[in-house]
Amino acid sequence: MQSGSEFKQRRTPLPRAGIGWLLGAALTALSLRAAAGDVYVVCNAGISLQASDIRDVFVGEKSFAGTARLAPADNSAAQAAFLEKVMKLDARKYATLWTKKSFRDGANPPPLRATDAEAIAYVRATPGGCSYVLRAPAEGVTVVAKF
Amino acid sequence: MRRVAMKLPGARLGPALLLGLLIGTVPVRAVGAERAASVKELQQKLEESLKAIQALTERVRELEARQAGTAVAASAAPAAAPSAPAAPAAASPAPGQAATPGTTESARVEALAQQLDQLETANASRGTADTGVPLHGFADVGVSTHNPINADLKGFNVGNLDFYLTPRLSDRGRALFEMNTEVSGEGSVGVDLERAQIGYQLADQATVWLGRFHSPYGYVNTALHHGAWVNNSLRRPGFLQFEDSGGIVPAHTVGLWLTGAPRVGLGKVQYDAYVGNSQQIIDGVLDMRNAGNTHGHLIVGGRLGYLFNAGAAEGLTLGVHAFSAHIGDNALPANMTRVLTYGGYAVYDTDQWENIAEVYLFDNEDLSGTSGKHHSNAGFVQLGYRASWGVPYARYEYTSLDQADNYFGAQASGYSYHRSALGLRFDLSPDAAVKLEFADTQLTDRSRDQYGAGLMQYAIRF
Repeated sequence: MQSGSEFKQRRTPLPRAGIGWLLGAALTALSLRAAAGDVYVVCNAGISLQASDIRDVFVGEKSFAGTARLAPADNSAAQAAFLEKVMKLDARKYATLWTKKSFRDGANPPPLRATDAEAIAYVRATPGGCSYVLRAPAEGVTVVAKF
Repeated sequence: MRRVAMKLPGARLGPALLLGLLIGTVPVRAVGAERAASVKELQQKLEESLKAIQALTERVRELEARQAGTAVAASAAPAAAPSAPAAPAAASPAPGQAATPGTTESARVEALAQQLDQLETANASRGTADTGVPLHGFADVGVSTHNPINADLKGFNVGNLDFYLTPRLSDRGRALFEMNTEVSGEGSVGVDLERAQIGYQLADQATVWLGRFHSPYGYVNTALHHGAWVNNSLRRPGFLQFEDSGGIVPAHTVGLWLTGAPRVGLGKVQYDAYVGNSQQIIDGVLDMRNAGNTHGHLIVGGRLGYLFNAGAAEGLTLGVHAFSAHIGDNALPANMTRVLTYGGYAVYDTDQWENIAEVYLFDNEDLSGTSGKHHSNAGFVQLGYRASWGVPYARYEYTSLDQADNYFGAQASGYSYHRSALGLRFDLSPDAAVKLEFADTQLTDRSRDQYGAGLMQYAIRF
């Protein structure tokens, strides 16, 4: 049991503490925003693709660029940022979308690469290959868009 | 107690401000976040490389020791140390050339870096040929006061164990195989090749399939298939169930199917055209004639819809569908009916809503007797809301089927009914859902039975 005075004294400082928490929250939001880096969508050097096509490519709705067969690959190191910035989906919806797509249309989800380096190596080595990375890639691939 | 209480303001404000300041430093650090991440990754790579170098160095020492032992035994030790077996020639100096320890180590590191690059490239380029075809599927079990398929049964039930394969073929080749282990209304277990379709993708807007597929009409038949987990509701509308589960419309066709969805305006035009073996009613159940039929008649049909991808109507699909077939039965003498079905569908599928409505009109003609033409209809409306905690839904469905029409008269499930249902789906995890449904069904011609049912289903994907 706490006395009335104790209760009163405990209530009084809350607004000040709240300001501290609010300040922290605001700074956290700012820091997260600043921390969210760029996402570069890259394709094999022979591929020409519009930025507006990227979403369709990664949900299996667009399989060709001209006569070239597209072969997208996910990159787990950059997937969270890619899904948020480009696909406007969370990981769960993305997985569910592909489960349904695969079951309905016989399409296969993009293979998964573990790092930027693997994703770049895949794109370089695969005709029609496309993926995404967190840092501006070196030569040998086409940067389709930066988000 | 009082002293403690007096310290509380500082005790609460202090940590809050401290945390705020600590977190507040994050933006400063975040300015160089990209560089920091880069450095971190480089550090990680360096650590991995050092570990690999250490492991290889130990191996080299081991081999050197072994080699030295052999050399001593042979009394013919070479001037230069042997290179590591895994390292290329660059790691070892030329014969007869003395190598300093620094250059040797440098060459080895370079060789290892090359090896790492090769491994990374090989890993990135690996295909599925050496990993096989992934097997996925769905399964469901449940309990109900009236079995979802056979209302005469009650208690626990095994639903479907459904496997599907989507092997990766060449650039334009596609394939889909679905095998379903299901329990019949009588309780026996059967295995059915539900879909066996091999396709060729002509373009983004056109794929042609050959084999056994789900007849493209309405929305449900090509969107929900056999996997119960895919469906937010516990079961399909009764008249749109699969043939061996009480469905009265041919859910499967064995034939040729052209499908695509070209972008037009702010949305997509979804089209389907198909031709296949006309189905037959065998012992009261529609059969899709996997191996062909005896009379050579075909089912011909199509579907045309428009999906709005932007604007106020985003997520809305409106469409029409139709098919015509000559469908007989195995009665003596056999009946033959020209079945003409047409109708429309509307779907509103967004992050919040899953609303579906379909209507079917039947203008059938008796070709073997003198009963003439018959008109029947069926339809359903389902409203579902994707809440954060689950998906509640409500559905009304009905059939009004002319019992003088041999097409319906010969089918065990060709009776008229209407059903109201309320249900709920809870997702326990991304791959498991529990569904509940309470339904009231009223039969309206062959019998006047009315019954209420409570059903539970546990459905998973894997």
